[in-house]
Amino acid sequence: MKVIINIIGSIGHKSLKFIANIGNFFLFCLSAISWIFRPPWYFKKIIFQVIDIGYFSLPVVGLTTFFSGMVLALQTYNGFTEFNSESTVARVVLTSITRELGPVLTGLMVAGRIGAKMAAEIATMRVTEQIDALSTLGTRPMQYLIAPKIIASVLCLPFLVFIGNTIGILGGYTIAIFKLDFNPDLYLYATIDNLQWIDLIQGSVKAATFGLIISMVSCYFGFNASKGAEGVGYATTASVVVSSVMILTSTYVITAMFFG
Amino acid sequence: MKTILDIKNLRKTFGNNVILENINFNLLEGESLAIIGASGSGKSVLLKNIIGLLDPDTGSIKINSTEMVNLPRKDKENLLLQLGITFQHGALFDSLRIWENIIFKIQNQQKISKVNGRKLALSIIERLSLKPEILDLFPSEISGGMQKRVAIARAICGNPKILLFDEPTSGLDPVTGSVIDKLIISAVKTIGASAITITHDMASVSRIADKVILIDNKTVSWSGTPKEMMTSNNLKIKEFIKTTNPKLFA
Repeated sequence: MKVIINIIGSIGHKSLKFIANIGNFFLFCLSAISWIFRPPWYFKKIIFQVIDIGYFSLPVVGLTTFFSGMVLALQTYNGFTEFNSESTVARVVLTSITRELGPVLTGLMVAGRIGAKMAAEIATMRVTEQIDALSTLGTRPMQYLIAPKIIASVLCLPFLVFIGNTIGILGGYTIAIFKLDFNPDLYLYATIDNLQWIDLIQGSVKAATFGLIISMVSCYFGFNASKGAEGVGYATTASVVVSSVMILTSTYVITAMFFG
Repeated sequence: MKTILDIKNLRKTFGNNVILENINFNLLEGESLAIIGASGSGKSVLLKNIIGLLDPDTGSIKINSTEMVNLPRKDKENLLLQLGITFQHGALFDSLRIWENIIFKIQNQQKISKVNGRKLALSIIERLSLKPEILDLFPSEISGGMQKRVAIARAICGNPKILLFDEPTSGLDPVTGSVIDKLIISAVKTIGASAITITHDMASVSRIADKVILIDNKTVSWSGTPKEMMTSNNLKIKEFIKTTNPKLFA
């Protein structure tokens, strides 16, 4: 009987802790957003973050979306030959990349690269008392550390998604022309003809949302890291896992908003 | 002499756990106070209450006659600019060079140029007999003892009224510890500040402190001068004295 009570108690305790963490996260987000709009703004730090997120993420985003575009074109062609619908490859590649694959893959890559880096950096600062030191030196940690990262993430993700979409479509084009023997002009015409503003707008909304998710989640776990190397490790992995899950969840919500 | 820090009836709990209660002491202008106590006695919690990282449950903390508890955020931040703090492991900012670390507080209050900032950092480290060559290095490129010295330099930048040192000699060899103590004495004299040092190191206490308080059983259980520690009947004080050379307190 005692064992059952202990198990139920443990489940209850973990549930309450989970709900408390969700509440703490939302309070953190509200606080962070409020500091974004209050001076002083650390423009130098924002610029450094934009370069780190927007420029240095280009290779990994480019590689991911290029090969994804290639695979998508190949698989679509193989699947659609059964229905003699090979000509729709361009449209399928374009729609899949701009609406889903481009933003989601870019978001996941940036979560793994930048999210982990943000969480590790801030967690290390937490466990080595650097965040406490900031407070004692007349600087607000949320304003100095967190706000620039959020601003840069929200600004850079749409740019990265745009580049990723372009490279992904190029990957599909490459396979279509050099392996599947499509006519280059016809393929290009089909791509441009099917491009819709709603796809681009939806992709940008997703990108900005993912940028917000990645920065908020990573900064939250870093800022609340417990003592020691284990705390830093936990913050880093938790930020990537939670960011990834939230990206996949929110992509459905946004898709439903636009096309539901 | 004027009272620069006055703490009355401070109480701090975490949940149901009482860490500190009935804490009363003051610090005079120019005075150097050492806070000693066993590990886990609440010394760091007390320090964090003084420097505004934690808020006491009840009690009063007055800095230069201004009550800090329940002060609006902006006023509290301005008040705390009068403090200079060194943390146990230095807490230097990894991504900034040594000179940027030292002038960090001043740089955020008034934008100063790179040239003037380096000059200011140079003048401070020269006062503390540190080598100018370290200015352009990053904290990871200097030793732990050097990091502690740079942390002291950062603390005194801006000429604060109260310097607080959290275990300044922990993890250091006795020779380097003695150097740090001399730097603390020099720093206090140079800027005419008062000082609070949290330490386990009784040799440090004998060198730097005008007054000592013992945190034991959640409260201030003894206070006096380092010499008075030798004749005290307090059991905890006797234990602390036993661990070191009594001649230090002669």
